[in-house]
This record gives sequence, structure tokens and C-alpha cells, in this order.
Amino acid sequence: MNRRDVLRLAQPRLVRFAPGVVLGLLGALCAVGLLGVSAWLITRAAEQPPILFLSAAMVGVRAFALGRATFRYLERLVSHDAAFATMPELRVGVYERLVPVAPDGLGSARSGDLLSRLVSDVDEQQNLPLRVVQPLVVSGLTALAAVVVVWLLLLTAGIVLALSLLAALLVGTVLNAALSARAERTLAGLRGTHRAALADYLTNLDVLVAYGADGAALSALSHADAALTAASRRRAVGAGATAAAVTFFAGLATVLTLVVGVPALGAGAGALGGSGGFDGPALAVVALVPLAAFEVFAMIPLAAGAWRQVRASADRIASVVPSTVPAGIPVDGPESVRPAPAVFTGLSLRDVTARWPGASAAALAPVSLDLAPGDRVLLRGPSGAGKTTLAHVLVRFLDHEGGYRLNGHDVREYPADAVRRVVGLCEQRPHLFDDDIRQNLLFARDTASDDELLAVLDRVGLASWVQARGGLTARVGERGALVSGGQAQRLALARALLADFPVLVLDEPTANVDPEQADALITDLLAAAASASRAVLLISHTPVPPALVTRTLSLSSVEPSQNAL
Amino acid sequence: MRPVDPRLLRYAASARAFFAAGGVLALGQTATIIAFSWLVTQVIVGAIGGSPLSALLPSLGALAGVVAVRFALGWLSEYNAARGAAVVKSELRRRVLDAVTRLGPGWLGGRSSTAVGVTAGPGLDALDTYFSKYLPQLILTAIAMPLVVLTIWSQDWVSGLTVTLTLPLIPVFMILIGWATQTVQQRQFERLTRLSTAFLDVVGGLSTLTVYGRQHRQAARIREVTEEYRTQTMKVLRVSFLSGFALELAASLSVALVAVSIGVRLIDGSLGLGVGLFVLLLAPEAFLPLRNVGAQFHAAADGVAASTSVFEILDEAGATGAVSTWGAVPTEGAAGAEAVDAGLEVRGLGVRYGEAVAFAGLRASIRRGAVTAVTGPSGSGKTSFVHALLGFVPVEGRMLVGGRDVTDDPAPRPWLAWAGQRAALVEGSVLENVALGDDEPDAARARAALDLVGGAGIRLAERIDPRGGGLSGGQAQRVSSARAVYRARALDCPVVVFDEPTSALDGGTEAEFSRSLRALADEGRAVIVVSHRPAVTASADDRLVFALPEAAHPLAVAAGLPAGPLAGSPAHAAAHSPGGGVA
Repeated sequence: MNRRDVLRLAQPRLVRFAPGVVLGLLGALCAVGLLGVSAWLITRAAEQPPILFLSAAMVGVRAFALGRATFRYLERLVSHDAAFATMPELRVGVYERLVPVAPDGLGSARSGDLLSRLVSDVDEQQNLPLRVVQPLVVSGLTALAAVVVVWLLLLTAGIVLALSLLAALLVGTVLNAALSARAERTLAGLRGTHRAALADYLTNLDVLVAYGADGAALSALSHADAALTAASRRRAVGAGATAAAVTFFAGLATVLTLVVGVPALGAGAGALGGSGGFDGPALAVVALVPLAAFEVFAMIPLAAGAWRQVRASADRIASVVPSTVPAGIPVDGPESVRPAPAVFTGLSLRDVTARWPGASAAALAPVSLDLAPGDRVLLRGPSGAGKTTLAHVLVRFLDHEGGYRLNGHDVREYPADAVRRVVGLCEQRPHLFDDDIRQNLLFARDTASDDELLAVLDRVGLASWVQARGGLTARVGERGALVSGGQAQRLALARALLADFPVLVLDEPTANVDPEQADALITDLLAAAASASRAVLLISHTPVPPALVTRTLSLSSVEPSQNAL
Repeated sequence: MRPVDPRLLRYAASARAFFAAGGVLALGQTATIIAFSWLVTQVIVGAIGGSPLSALLPSLGALAGVVAVRFALGWLSEYNAARGAAVVKSELRRRVLDAVTRLGPGWLGGRSSTAVGVTAGPGLDALDTYFSKYLPQLILTAIAMPLVVLTIWSQDWVSGLTVTLTLPLIPVFMILIGWATQTVQQRQFERLTRLSTAFLDVVGGLSTLTVYGRQHRQAARIREVTEEYRTQTMKVLRVSFLSGFALELAASLSVALVAVSIGVRLIDGSLGLGVGLFVLLLAPEAFLPLRNVGAQFHAAADGVAASTSVFEILDEAGATGAVSTWGAVPTEGAAGAEAVDAGLEVRGLGVRYGEAVAFAGLRASIRRGAVTAVTGPSGSGKTSFVHALLGFVPVEGRMLVGGRDVTDDPAPRPWLAWAGQRAALVEGSVLENVALGDDEPDAARARAALDLVGGAGIRLAERIDPRGGGLSGGQAQRVSSARAVYRARALDCPVVVFDEPTSALDGGTEAEFSRSLRALADEGRAVIVVSHRPAVTASADDRLVFALPEAAHPLAVAAGLPAGPLAGSPAHAAAHSPGGGVA
């Protein structure tokens, strides 16, 4: 997915987008009109014509005042609605591109933090129509209209206004963007250093205090802070100048239109100049319309700032969401036609290795392994030996080299989804959906009755816990915030038992569990998962009572002969 | 919501400078606005009155000067805001860190350190827009609005009255609409939050969904949820945009009324053009800052919320008072110099968190030269006991080391070396981590410490990145244990504590680790190991067993049990050693 794909999905279609722009334009024109007509009304009234001559202007002033507020309100409603309306397509578009590569083709975005970053980047895209395109179109057209009106009244004044607007555009947008981009590059590095130091200090405070090292850490942190603050202050000088430039050019436009307008007074210079040519009321309009035009024009630098953010978000989305499935991620080919087997008879790996997408070296030394129904195998090995890699190969998140056969057939003859109907995985960090316990179980088998759910919760040792929390309707919180690491693992196993996978891989179930609860958890999980028709592969570094497993496989010294103990 | 929390001025002295400079700048900006309007009027009226350009040049020159001054003031104001935000953020960050350090690790352990990190880090960035967009407009509202209105009054009381009567309508309307919005929002707050996080939930759970073959069905659900989110949000927006509408309407109608009334009075000659034009130019300026304040409502709400979470921490630290001075390190090795065999003695030790009792009434004497295993189920107070030794939590009862009362010693305690459950590695080399707190790391001592705890294969020069990466879980834990060994030997600490030191190690290497504990004890130290692993606890000389409070409710204690549920009860503390050991 490239940036343009993202932006195209985020920008509403013209039919939806146009009404907001039209309303916005009407509102902005009313604002300019209010000041222009008021100025004309007052200067013309000073000539003391019959009041009848001015009644149209008086009505106009009131109408513009009402129009400005009303159109603006309607514009905001219509344009927000249009921007929100693109969100389903954008979200689904991003999601559908994630599905074939998830989870292992997402590179570094796999982790929770970066995924939530991706989601907020997607949501940031609603600012494309709202804060970028629409303000640019509305203020551009309004400025153009103001130039035309002033031009028609007095040619030279129109030119002066156009040039002032152009200068403000250059300084307020182009120069500002260049300055901010340069400062942002410096700041981003300093901010990163500071945040890392801050996180380091806070997570390790106990150790730092106990070892009397907090003073040194705090002074390192305050150095990072001082550098960041100094850089922010330096940036403020340039940013402040370019931001104030818009008001400068607004004032300059008024001075210059007066300089060219005053000598032209009385001359029949403009197409709109009434009977007396370019008269006093016209001079007032020419001098004051620029003020209102610039007020509308001030949206442009803001839109430029919003564009920088939208663009950065779109780029991040584009970099995370690949256009093609990266090498190393399984893709169903023409040979993947075999239906999921109804009965599991055996799984075998022969010299299987795998590498993560983009990695140059294999993450797994050649593994050979046989799993038959009733097997309970403990897989051990130091970190980095590829235990999780092997788990991901087994559920076809990752492609492999070597022989992987399921029920005697090459696993690639099955679609990946069919393999996953046989081989299930309890992840190291199982995801719990922000819903109640029932929904978190039901999606594994949506036909299960409440009795079946309670029975499976009892098997994983959660019966009393669920009861204490008020039953199946108890919520688990956002990302399982209301559930401890051990309970999350038990819920994940309950889910896997409901799905009744003939082969179940448990990946480090104790990784996020207090050490003192880890042993009990492992024992409970293995006991619950054991079945004569199921093969269980437990990946763990926690010691396991030997009676609970039928074999142990050590990944550090993987050789075919050692596997069959 | 208060627009400015008074605590901002109290806690961030630099905010006062910002407000003072902002006030002066706002005064100057108001003066230029009035001067600009007046000079423009003079030129137009002069030109209509027949003055040639040459006669108007002084006014035009002055006008150009005013434009230049206004630019300079605008620039300074932008700079003042950005600088104010940067400096105040830095000051608040420093204060939060001081406060957190003062409250101590015991306090931080009770909440998420990530949340505190966000509060003191990216969370404070909300102050950027608060300072640059909201506060300057707030100051300008306070200064420009009354001055401009006064100027209008002085020129034409009818217009002055019109503006004065309209202005108060704005806050009144905004408050009324604000209430209405709040009601609408509250009614569906939970629904809106759930809908807004639903997409994140699906994307975050994508791999779980794939395991269960449910990933393909979710697109329809995402579409449905997002559509509903739009419908619900629009309901709220329809009401909340009304406040902007009221603002705009009051401001523009007021200008229109002023213009028409001036027009009518100009026709009958009761008012001069100069006054009329001047007032017309000033009228919108009376409303502008207020409109900007209204438009930046969200910047204000975010800024106030961000600073409030900072102030809560600062208030808490302020209420606690000066607990102790972490930085003051007593003379190194002082405690170790006292040659007393008694090791560590605790008398009636207990830790409470408010009403809840972690443990109470603990009496034990822990020998030097022996390994004492601390065991007990989860929640029986083992970790609180370790925190009590470290000085992270307020305790009741007394602690003595070598006969000296150390209960009130500030942390760090030079008689104690400790390795926690979490490896807690800091950025730097392995050597820097092992020799943490030692200004002159001794490589030979660090090497020996690593070798002792089975870390012979770990290079001292190995770099550790901020998240402790670069080492496996087991290696990180060995570095953490070596740190305690290093400190114990460098300061000759009589007491060494290991909290679950083998949780990341393979079962086979636990026996090896027990031999390391024995070696440390043989150096004449009291070695305490908190563990639930039989391989570790079995080889200990003494055993200190924690039990869950018999009455599960701390109320039983509050009701006046003489010495807490653990006190002196043989059920929770049993001695195995001939030397007395644990009472």
C-alpha cells in the first residue's frame, strides 16, 4: 500500500465532499461580505443619501451576519459526516491488506504499541478532508473572490492584494514547513533519547534507589531534558516569525491598497465603481476587504501543518501495510486444495528451518519432530533458539524449508486456514477482546452452550474465578486489562479446548506470569489439555513434572536422533 | 473545567514568567489593534475629505510602523508561548521525577510505571497547544476585550452598549450548550468508547483471530461498528457544534447591529464618519479573542487534563513530606565494619497498605554464614518483606543489623545487596550493570561475580539496550544476580537478598545456583533467597515461611487482634537450624 492508496481511501468522493465545501465557501464569503458591505454602508451613509438607497446594504449586512454563523455550523456538520463516512472503507481497506500477512508479515509493527499506532494513524486520516483539503479549497477560493472584487473596484489594489496573499502563502506555508521540518528532525532524536531515558529511569527506579545509582541516572535524564528544551526554544524563534508573518502581510496589504487607492480616488478606475467612478465607499471596501480575506486565509498555514501530520501518518500506514505478501509468509497456491482432515493421524517435521521476513539468517536450526495423537511433548531451549518460530511454522504463520507433513501429506497441499483447523496455538500473549468472558470464548466455537462454556472454564481451573466475578457476562477489560497473566493463559486454553484442535501448541504460557504461580499454571494447563486424541506441544523453560509429558525435546541441540526419547 | 489550574503557577515558577510576559505583550497587541483601526480610519476619512496622498503620508507611515510593531509583538508572543510550553514542561518533568523518587519505588510499584512515564513524557506534550493556542487567547480576552469595549464606549456609547450587551450572551450560551453536550456525551459515553476502540481491538487480536480462522469475518464487523460510531458521534456533534454557532452568531450579529445603527445615524448626521468607521473596525476585535478561546476548547481541556495528572503526583509527594533523602549515601562499608554475628534481626516487623495488612508481627533472626529460604504462597507478604528490608515502604516494628537499629535508615542501605524478581537492566554495558552504583567499576570483581552466578559466558563489554535486549531472559537474570554479588563484596554487605533468582533459569541449573548462594554465605553473609522452587529452598539452612492471613479480611486485624495474623505463630515461621535461626 503506498501513500496515494491511503489518501485516496481517506478522501471522500466528490458527491459527499462538495456540499461541505460549498457551505464552507458560503460561510467564508459571508465573513468577507459582512466587513466589505459594512464598510461600504458606513462610508456611503456619511454622504447622507436617502435612506432608501441603503436599505439593501442594511439587509445585506444582517443577512451576511446570520449566514456566516449558519453556514459555518452546517459546514462543520456536513464535512464531519463526510469525513467519517470514509472511515469504514479506509479501515476495512487497511484491515483486508493486513489479513493475508498477519501476524508475521507485519515486521516490527507486530507488537501491541505499534499496532495501536497504526490504528491511530488510520484514524488520523479523517483530518485529510476536514483539516487539509477543505480549508485549502475554501480559503483559496475565498481569497480569489476577494482579489477579484478588489480588482474590479481598483486594478492596482487587486494586484497589491494578490501579491500580499502570495507572499503570506510563501512565508507562512513554504518557509514555515521547511523550518519546522528541519527543527523536527533535530527534536525527534532528542525526544527519543529523553523518552528512552525516562522510561529506563521509571521502570528501574527500585534498582537505582537500592544501589544508590538514582542520582547519576537523574542527572543523565536532566541533561537529555535540557537539550530537548533548548532545541524547542530555538525552534520557537523561526516558527514564531513565520506564524506572525500572516498578520504582517494582512496589515501591509491594507497600507498598500491605501497607498494605491487614495490617489485613484475620484478617477473612474474600476468596473464596479458607481456613478462617480472610484469613490469613498469603494476606497473603504478596498482597504478593509483584505483584513477579512486574510482572516479566512489564516486557515492555510494550519492546513499545511495538518497536512504534514496526515502525510506522516499515511506514510507510516504505507510502510506497515505491505503491497505484496513478503517472502517467508505462507500463501495458498494452486496445490492448496485439500480439505481440512476430519481425523488427525500424525504430524511430522523433517529438518524444518524457517526465517522471518526480511531476516538474512534462519531463526531455527533444522528440527525434526513427530507428533501423534496422545503425545505431550515439552520443547525446551534457550531464548533465541527459535521456539516461537517453530510454533509459528506449525500454525503456518511462517513458511518453512524442509519437510512438514500433516496426516502424511505435504502441509502446502492444505490451505493455511485448513491447517489451522487442526493445529491450534495458545500465544505467549493471548489477545482478549474488550468484551465479556462469554464472547471471548464463543468465537472459538459459536455453537457452545453456557453449560459447555462453564465446563471448559472448570477444566482450566477458572470456575470459581468466573463465579466470583459474576459469571460469563463479566468483562475482561481493554486488552484483558482486568485479567492477570495467568488467568489470560487459562482463558486462552479454554478457548483452544472449545475449538478442540487435534494438535495444540502452547507457547511459553508462563512468560507473563509471576514465578510463584508459573509451576501450578503449567501443571494445570497440561492436565486440562491432555487427551488421548490430542497432541500437545508445550514450549516452556519452567520445569515440568515428568509424569505430565511423554517426551522432551531440546531445541539447542536439535538432531533427529535426540527427538525420539 | 477551570481554564487555568492555580497549581500551575505554584508548581511551575516559569509559568509565572510566561503569564507576566504574555500580559505585557497582550497589552501591546491591544494598543496596536486600536492604533491600526484609528490610523486606517484617519487615512480613509482624510482621503474622502479631499486630502492628497502627500498630506496623508505621515498617517500612512505611522500605519506601516504599527503593522511592523504588531508583527514584532505577534512574533514575541508566539515565541513566549512556545518557550513557555518548553520550559514549563521541563520544570514539571523535573518535579515529577523528584516527586516519584521521593515517593519511592514502593509507591511506584503500586501503579503502572508506564502510566507515570506517559504522564511525565508524551502526556505533557498536550501543554504545547495549551500554551501556544489557548492561553495567549485567554490572556488577550482578559486584556483586549475590556480595552476595546472601553474605546468603543468612549467614541460612541450606542455601539458600546450594543457590544456590552451582546458579549455576556456568549459565555451564557456556551455554558448552556456545554451542559447539553455533556449530557448527550455522558448518556453514551461507554458506547462511544467501546465503538472507538473496536477497530484497535480487532487489529490487535488479528493473530488470535487467524488461529481460530475468524479473520475473514471481521471486515463486515469493522464496517458496521465504524458506521455506528459515525451515527453516534454525529448525534453528539450536532449539539456540541451549537456552541460554536452561538459564538459566531453573537459576534457577527453584534457587528451587523453596530454597522446598521452607525449607518442610520450617519445619514441623519448625528455621527461623524471617522467615529463610525473606527467603531466598525474595532467591534469585531472585541469578539475575536473570545471566539479563539472557544475554538481552542479542546486544546484547553487536554492541557488541563495533562497538567492535572502531574499535579496529582506532586500533591501526593507534597502530602507525604520529605520521606527520606535517597541521595545521601552513608559512609561505605560502615555497617559491614561492625563485626557482629547476629546478622539480621526483625522484631514485630509489619507492612500495611492502608487497611490491608501485607504481613505483621514478624519476629525472626537471620544468621550470617547461612542461607535462609523465604517461602509461602502468593500474597503472603514475601515481596513486602523484601521491600521493608530495602526501605521502600513504611514499616512497623524494628530491624537490627549487627545489633544496630537500621529501621529508619534511608535507602540505599549500605548493609544490603539485593536482586529483584525483574532483571531491571539499564542501558549500558554488562559491566556498568553489574557494578551499578559504583563510580569506579572494578572489572575483575564484576567478572568474579558473574562467574559465581553461572554467567561465565556473558562478556562484560556486551551492550544492553534500554529494554534489556541483547541478552536472553536467563542471562539477564544472571546479570541481575551478579549485581547483588558485586555490591555485597564491594561494600561488604552483611545481608544479601535474592528474590526468585531462578525464575528464568532452566531447572537443571538451579542446583548450580544454590552452590553460589552457599559460597556467598561462606563469606560470612546472611543470604536470604525468596523462592518457590524446591531445588533452591531444599538446600537452604534455615527457612522462613510466610502464610496467608488466616482471616482473609484485613478487618480482623483492624478489629484488634493482638499482633496480627502472623505474629509469633509457629505455623508461619519455623526454624530448622540448631543455632536458633527463626523464632
